[in-house]
Amino acid sequence: MNFNSRVVSITLCAAVLSWAQIGPSLAEPPAPPAQSAAPAPGAAPAAAEAAPAADAAPAASAAEAQAPDAKSLDQEVQGLKKDVVELNKDLFVLEEELLFPANTQVAVFLSMDVGTFFALDAVTIKIDNKEVANHLYTAREADALLKGGVQRIYLGNQKVGKHELVAFFTGKGTVERDYRRGATLVFEKGVGAKYLELKITDRVAKHQPEFLVKDWE
Amino acid sequence: MLVLATMMAMSSLAAAPPSLVGKDAPDFVLKARDGKNLRLSEFRGQVVLVNFWARWAGDSRKEMPALDRINATYQRAGLVVLGVSVDDDVRRAGDFANSMAVSYPILFDLAGSTGRDYMIQKMPITFLVDRAGVVRYSNVGFKRGDENVYLDQIRELLRE
Repeated sequence: MNFNSRVVSITLCAAVLSWAQIGPSLAEPPAPPAQSAAPAPGAAPAAAEAAPAADAAPAASAAEAQAPDAKSLDQEVQGLKKDVVELNKDLFVLEEELLFPANTQVAVFLSMDVGTFFALDAVTIKIDNKEVANHLYTAREADALLKGGVQRIYLGNQKVGKHELVAFFTGKGTVERDYRRGATLVFEKGVGAKYLELKITDRVAKHQPEFLVKDWE
Repeated sequence: MLVLATMMAMSSLAAAPPSLVGKDAPDFVLKARDGKNLRLSEFRGQVVLVNFWARWAGDSRKEMPALDRINATYQRAGLVVLGVSVDDDVRRAGDFANSMAVSYPILFDLAGSTGRDYMIQKMPITFLVDRAGVVRYSNVGFKRGDENVYLDQIRELLRE
């Protein structure tokens, strides 16, 4: 069973439990008011005239009685939703810690600054000559990067020691010319998690894009 | 009788692989004929028709003009038609798409990973994805009149 399936199962269980608790209270009919159940014998004609009004009164009072129930039910559902979101977050963190322990974790992020001289199309990452990530960018994704977004393009495990990262950037340069450039970084993986950043910036003086790989110590 | 029942069961299996219908459509990002990259999940909120085709599949030649007509009619109502070529020769697939003169985006699944995700065994195959990103219908092959089946399915999903 994968992670998403587990979360869905937990959500469903929570919902079923919740309904199991709430169900019987919803099934019970509201108790009718005492006066409408036993009218006084001497007041029969008046009671008959007032019958529609008397019928309406219990309905209104029942609705009033149900209103707090509905409110508490809504609050309970909201509370459950909040719990599920919290649980989901905890499971996500737990999964990452288990799958990518800090002593082997390497994460690569991509950011873009300005981008006047380069329209990003794709990025391929190789670590020790093995392709570990390949991403094609839609116009919307490239826009998000230009607005300051940072993408985690790779998260994986690497042994402690020296590694070589090569990133290939494909896109369009100035005057719509196809552009492909590489950037290399040799990094030392220690006992802690390693964070690297691929940065695309504009080199205004040369009217060209610049591709950097930064090691976050 | 038994043979007939078996054949009917086999044909119904071939027409609708049960493995994907009712499940989230596998997301993909592929390069289009015009050089843009398109991602399926970016069309969430719209009804998406994903048609996997190949040059060598004779039915594709009949199906693509029909899909183009459907696209022209229902695009404004919120339908997106995506044609995905599973050919490994982009140039020839592109030439074929040009010869069909369709106006909807044609994408190229060069690595074949999208075809694998959609468990494609026969060509052409068309999936209909609802506004929530769930595969609701899959249709294998194409014969004249099948566009009416597509239209019924599309209208149903657009109404939701």
